[in-house]
Amino acid sequence: MMSAGDPAERSGDAEVRVVLDRVCKSFAPAGGGDRVSALQDASLTVGSGKFLALLGPSGCGKTTLLRLVDGLIQPDSGTVHVFGAPPRPGPDIGFVFQSFRLIPWAKVSRNVDFSLRDLGLTAAEREERTRRVIKMVGLTRFANAYPAALSGGMKQRVALARALAPEPKVLLMDEPFASIDAQTRELMQIELMRIWTRRRPAVLFVTHSVDEAIMLADEIALMGPSPGKVIETVPVDLERPRWTYDTHAEPRYVELRKHLSSRMRQFVLSDPASEFFGRDLGSPDAMGT
Amino acid sequence: MALLKREIAMLRDVLQSCSSAAVRTAIALRNLCKPPDSFMIAFYRIGFFALLMALWQVAATRMGSNVLPSPLATWQAAQTLVGEGQLIVAIGDSLTVYLSGFAIAIIVGVPLGVVMGGFRVLGKTLEVYVFALAATPRVAFIPLIIVLLGLGVEAKTFIVFLGALMPILINAYAGVLAADEELLEMARSVGTPRGRIFTNIVLPGAVPFIIVGLRIGATIGLINTVVAELYTAVRGLGGLLAIYGNTFRMAEYFVVVLTLAAVGVIVTESLRYIEARVSRWRDV
Repeated sequence: MMSAGDPAERSGDAEVRVVLDRVCKSFAPAGGGDRVSALQDASLTVGSGKFLALLGPSGCGKTTLLRLVDGLIQPDSGTVHVFGAPPRPGPDIGFVFQSFRLIPWAKVSRNVDFSLRDLGLTAAEREERTRRVIKMVGLTRFANAYPAALSGGMKQRVALARALAPEPKVLLMDEPFASIDAQTRELMQIELMRIWTRRRPAVLFVTHSVDEAIMLADEIALMGPSPGKVIETVPVDLERPRWTYDTHAEPRYVELRKHLSSRMRQFVLSDPASEFFGRDLGSPDAMGT
Repeated sequence: MALLKREIAMLRDVLQSCSSAAVRTAIALRNLCKPPDSFMIAFYRIGFFALLMALWQVAATRMGSNVLPSPLATWQAAQTLVGEGQLIVAIGDSLTVYLSGFAIAIIVGVPLGVVMGGFRVLGKTLEVYVFALAATPRVAFIPLIIVLLGLGVEAKTFIVFLGALMPILINAYAGVLAADEELLEMARSVGTPRGRIFTNIVLPGAVPFIIVGLRIGATIGLINTVVAELYTAVRGLGGLLAIYGNTFRMAEYFVVVLTLAAVGVIVTESLRYIEARVSRWRDV
């Protein structure tokens, strides 16, 4: 299927799952006027079983990038390839949204089952698989509850179970833990790491938290705003499993954190769309840290 | 100096007692606002009924039975009307017109509203006409309906249908249009085919809207039942209303009014019950 010019082939890695090559995407604003460029010349590759964090300030096109990779929207120019072909939404690509997006009138088990409806499984197979993923995210006791009865963390676990149920080879996560309280978030990160270690889908994880990116990812793609593009990719060479030791104390962690934080700060200060544009708020170095 | 101190101490005491009174009032208020058990509600309702009866009795003795019959006189009239059979026949006539007109309005209105919401071009094309028709007083059509369908059950049913149709149709349409964009994208992302997205996400999401439409439609349908019975062949509860009203038989007249109120309560309460059943997922 792969043509000679295929970026995946060019990169010499047959196991590459997701490739974006000079992707541009702009939107017409709802109120009319000039089109707003969300992504410009964004390029990216995610290898099989790799965990890539997309790190960037809000409004730099991170969510747009995920929707492109899922095939929910099409690029204006450039190519998006998943498994060597333009992506189509479906069971091969799982999507976990920031706002959970559970069906409120369906019980937890039916919400999870929703992603299994079109896989050609028998009712018994679907039931068994639903039961298994609900157990994996630790919600067996709540299988018959309605989403309204669950906490934020539990809702996101249901959404995660729904995304994992079809056993996707690519998992897209759009700031999944952003609206969850700090303690629960930390546990959810560990939970995600555990599940990922077992299943090993390629993960594209959008976040604006430097700590979250370092904690989870094999590689961090740093995105800048106006228009959004991938500025640099940084490998995270911290030993796994990272929940077994205090990563925050590692010199490499501190170094990475310092670098990424100051880049993030620069983006916000230099973004004409930000309220801090042009202000001299200094860098952490200048403040003597 | 000592005086000032004492004054301050007094002021403090006053403030403290005020604030504790405020707290007590707040707690009492909160207890009042707590969801009360249904037994107490039933008790209050009976109490309020007794109060209404007392007020009615007072008003009746003040105004005289030619204008306002007493509760007892009304009760006796009700017994006579039921005993002689007119009331039962009238209820039967009215319910036939009302329920069949309402049922046809549901059968036509819900699917039409859903289809208009599902196919945007169709919806955009038709909505102006729907809104125009909804804004026109339906009474304006009665002469035309009489010319076309006569004075019988068909004409009456059609008048009820026309009144109930618009709120049912417009609410079904609005319910489909109000589908949750985020859930739609989720369903697309999972790879759900379009037809299933419609039946699994859009339609269940529209159900609360549709039921509101049914409730409004039921009320307007009942009004139109009476209107139809007044304007066309004088029959049913509306007919009795005209007969007793015109001959100043106020006790009988009141029986008919109360019967209409009871029909209205029974129908809307049944719809409320259905609404509670289908939206059980809302309560935690």
